[in-house]
Amino acid sequence: MTSAPLVGLRAAALEIRPRRRDRETLLLLAAAVALLVGWISLSTTEAGRLAVGDPAPLLAYLAALGLCHLAFVVTGRRTDQVLLPVVGLLGGISLLFMNRLPQDLVQQQVGPLELTLGPLQLLWLLLSLAVLTVLAIVVRNDSWLRSYKYSWAVAGVLLLLLVFALGEEVNGARLSLRLGPLAGQPSELLKIILVVFLAGYLAEYRPLLAGMSLRLGVLRLPPLPYLLPMLAMWGVALAVVVVQRDLGAALLFFGVFLALLYLATQRASFVALGVALAVVGAVLLYLLQAHVRTRFQIWVDPFATAQGSGYQVVQALYAFGRGGILGTGLGAGLPAVSGGVPVPAVHTDFVFTGLAEELGTTGALAILGLYLVLAERGLRIAAGAADDFRALLAAGLTLVIVLQAAIISAGNLKLIPLTGVTLPFVSYGGSSLLASGICVGLLLALSDAGVEAPPPPGRPGPAERFRRRLAGGRERLGRAVA
Amino acid sequence: MDAFELLVWVLRLSFLGLLYLFLAYVVRTLWRDLRTSAAVADRALGRLMVIASPGGRPATGAALPLQAVNSLGRDINNTIPLDDAFASAFHARLTFRGRTWYLEDLASTNGTFLNGQPVAMPTPLGYGDEIQVGQVRFRLDRPA
Amino acid sequence: MSGPRVGSAPPLPRGLLRLAIVVIAAYSALALGLGYWQGIRAQALTEDPGNPIVAAVRDAPRGRILDARGTVLAQSVTRGGVQVRSYPQPLAAPVVGYWSPTLGAAGLERTYDAQLSGFVGITPVDRLLRKFRPDPTAAQDVVTSLDVRLQADAARLLGGRRGAIVAIEPSTGRVLAMVSSPSYDPNKLVDPATGAAYLASLSAGDASASPLLNRATQGRYTPGSVFKIVTAIAGLGSGKITPATTFPDQPAEEKTGFVVQGYTVVDGHHDFTGHTALDLTEATAVSCNIYYAHAGLAIGAADLRAWARQLGFEASIPFDLPVAPSQVTAGTGPLNGFVDEVELANAAYGQGTTFVTPLQMALVAATVADGGLLMRPTLVDALRASADGSLIEQRQPQVWRTVLPASEATAVRQAMQAAVESPWGKPFAGSAKIPGVPTAGKTGTAQLGGSGEPHAWFIGFAPANAPRIAVAVLLEQGGHGGQVAAPIGGQLMGDWLKLAP
Repeated sequence: MTSAPLVGLRAAALEIRPRRRDRETLLLLAAAVALLVGWISLSTTEAGRLAVGDPAPLLAYLAALGLCHLAFVVTGRRTDQVLLPVVGLLGGISLLFMNRLPQDLVQQQVGPLELTLGPLQLLWLLLSLAVLTVLAIVVRNDSWLRSYKYSWAVAGVLLLLLVFALGEEVNGARLSLRLGPLAGQPSELLKIILVVFLAGYLAEYRPLLAGMSLRLGVLRLPPLPYLLPMLAMWGVALAVVVVQRDLGAALLFFGVFLALLYLATQRASFVALGVALAVVGAVLLYLLQAHVRTRFQIWVDPFATAQGSGYQVVQALYAFGRGGILGTGLGAGLPAVSGGVPVPAVHTDFVFTGLAEELGTTGALAILGLYLVLAERGLRIAAGAADDFRALLAAGLTLVIVLQAAIISAGNLKLIPLTGVTLPFVSYGGSSLLASGICVGLLLALSDAGVEAPPPPGRPGPAERFRRRLAGGRERLGRAVA
Repeated sequence: MDAFELLVWVLRLSFLGLLYLFLAYVVRTLWRDLRTSAAVADRALGRLMVIASPGGRPATGAALPLQAVNSLGRDINNTIPLDDAFASAFHARLTFRGRTWYLEDLASTNGTFLNGQPVAMPTPLGYGDEIQVGQVRFRLDRPA
Repeated sequence: MSGPRVGSAPPLPRGLLRLAIVVIAAYSALALGLGYWQGIRAQALTEDPGNPIVAAVRDAPRGRILDARGTVLAQSVTRGGVQVRSYPQPLAAPVVGYWSPTLGAAGLERTYDAQLSGFVGITPVDRLLRKFRPDPTAAQDVVTSLDVRLQADAARLLGGRRGAIVAIEPSTGRVLAMVSSPSYDPNKLVDPATGAAYLASLSAGDASASPLLNRATQGRYTPGSVFKIVTAIAGLGSGKITPATTFPDQPAEEKTGFVVQGYTVVDGHHDFTGHTALDLTEATAVSCNIYYAHAGLAIGAADLRAWARQLGFEASIPFDLPVAPSQVTAGTGPLNGFVDEVELANAAYGQGTTFVTPLQMALVAATVADGGLLMRPTLVDALRASADGSLIEQRQPQVWRTVLPASEATAVRQAMQAAVESPWGKPFAGSAKIPGVPTAGKTGTAQLGGSGEPHAWFIGFAPANAPRIAVAVLLEQGGHGGQVAAPIGGQLMGDWLKLAP
């Protein structure tokens, strides 16, 4: 093979210059060692003697992580070096746990192969890593997100309508959308679209929202026209609950919206208003929707219906109790009771419970710590962003992951009523893993200090033009008086 | 406790320990980042040299350190307040986005000029370029 | 920096910091939640009946209970998809007990519940360790020292009369048979369909029948003359009497009675000894109350109680089943617990406020048989893994107390052998004689006061020169010990010597 044409091509294309990423290398090695020890611990417990089992899935996963790292090094982008190892460790823990669970929890025909839980999760993890890496390397400007915010909003609403029309009901929630051979959970995509739209909208109207106010007694409310998006968001959240019966997604959407709104305006009154709206919405739903009432009653006293609707939550609490401080060890928890898993949905909604049983409080705290690290990196990327849109986008993408993890863990721990969302990067599920991959991929791209500068502030929007005319007029008036 | 149980214990605790070792590495990395970025934040992005200021505020010859967003105008709430009759209350904005400075006129009465040309749209500028707001003239310089 | 104005928004980083604080607060709440469920509530949750671990223990097959030759006494069978205990040898009920998820457990089923269920979760450390076993319920089989043939023989000899029989191997303390009558059918008790009604029927009816009571360990009876062996042991052990000791007044007092502090001890049913002042052997052979009343006073309250304690009195005997403590006296009086010398004199021949369990009396016989060594009584030989039969624990015989020097024990043995075999003894305990085998024993006929029939007792061992079995036989208000209890004891010991030659 001659290298000359290749070099020429590379130089012509993008001026690619490999750049070492020592921190990422070190952190990935630490994660790999931890996961290997975890795998041996799991295999040893299962075999009853020192064993490594069949390490092929873990080695494949670690190799994929290595390839991602290599791709970052070769393309030489100066992106964040902590996110990939953190995500890699979370995904690795997920791989361990999915291989530890009874494999027949999920069975799916993929081409000629009949795959079960462990291999399927490996497949989705690899796809998620691929999406993450491609986005982190390829995305060099944000105009495709920034300029089409209303198009994104329309796409989101269409998606919601599509679910309404064609959604499949699973466990009482209309979460799943099936188009031919493809099936997925649209709310996973919807949350990213929502963040993109909100970042664009709030970045544009930030000065107005922050500056103006409507006095109503002691309340300082935002000007009426700008209340509309808040009401619209509230409506969307309610619609998600009513249409999809998806309390978790609604909570997540509204939470991310409120956080971004506060970030953009730093007006506590907006947050207060938002929380008030949320409470009103919750009361309305409680009164009108039977499944919301059930969820609430389970939360108040799951033991009252321990053999019925409260079964899952009660079993989860038992699992937490069995785990204790140090846990039972990987592979030693959850003894199969008459062939079944005692905690239903332990691979999706209750994966945090399963991990807390086998790794104990100690391990569960480490996992929560990983999400906090994700939060720190994401918010730091937001703080260092070149402009408001990027800052809000980075903060929004971070919150989608961090808030979702908090919502499902809190539901598992009976701190809040249980809602069915996944634990990002850990729960089983293609849609969730891909969406999380997209989030972190975009975050990585945004973290690159060498990325293209944002476009200069463009032609002012209609509202801005109006405001400037107003200001100019006042100025002239003032001078005329003088 | 037999040898196997001991082995399982060691493996379990090692796994938990390694998780925390990883977190410790991460926290060390974050801590170092925090210290370097704090150092970066303290450094000004550029300086605005005052070439001429008939009103005396700012003083001619002063070097004003610049943040990412700087506003110029007669109102005292500007980051760079100007004592100049020909300047509007909120006259112009000088912002650093990505790697470039932009000058933007805020619908001022008498306009903002870059190297003698009136600024209609947000316009990129480089170090050494001259800015005029009212009667006050500046030169954009690299940070000290 | 100025407040917000038209056209200028506050910088983002300040908001980001506040957001970060909110996130940290939320995650701290999660950490507290984890600590609450996994720290504070962990124990309660793990022991909750709804916990699958608890349920698994409840539903898992329990280990078997076997006799020394491997005959199954208790096992788990699946009936209608539910684990139920089955007892192929209901005769062993007083020892084996029963186990039912609704009615609880008794007997060995209760004592060895942890091993049978395989969930040895007694200490927190144990509990923690077991969590790492792939199968947390590794059931164990309990191998008992019972021989079901001897057990059946003993039950047959009792013939449904109220009473108890305990048979012990003197050299090891292994219990060979333990029968209490009337008894119950544990199969009916653990059957979910009939259990509750059967339990009610057992508890109702004649209160004195008490079929659920294990008389061998829980029943406390006035011993009568079998207690004289305890007095003899105390006398020889303390040195207050020797085998040659006689009481000169005794022959005369056979006629007049022995007046102690105004109370007259009478005897009078062995006229044929005439004017002979009886020694220990002779007094034991003819079961002379007056001799033993003198002996008791000579020994004194303190030594009588001290040697009784050595034999296991006044405390729960360490055993695989709960044992009621036997007593020499009710223990409230000024004379070392005795009210006065009258009570001491009465106690010395087994009346007064002396109460004993059949197991205690069997241990007394076994101690004499084993040359003064009291072996710790045991019902369990070994624990084996249910799955593969591998040995988990083998119980070794343990000397519990060294009561008497061998020479003194031999004196008591000779006295007991004379009680069965000597011409003077034959009228009393001769019915216990095993043809062709030297036999030792002592009968007891415990007067209860009032008009009721006395308790009939027999304790003994055989062969007298090299004992392989020691027994205690009690028939509640059964009549005369020599007529009722002694034949049963002799028959049982003889049968055992044929069963285990």
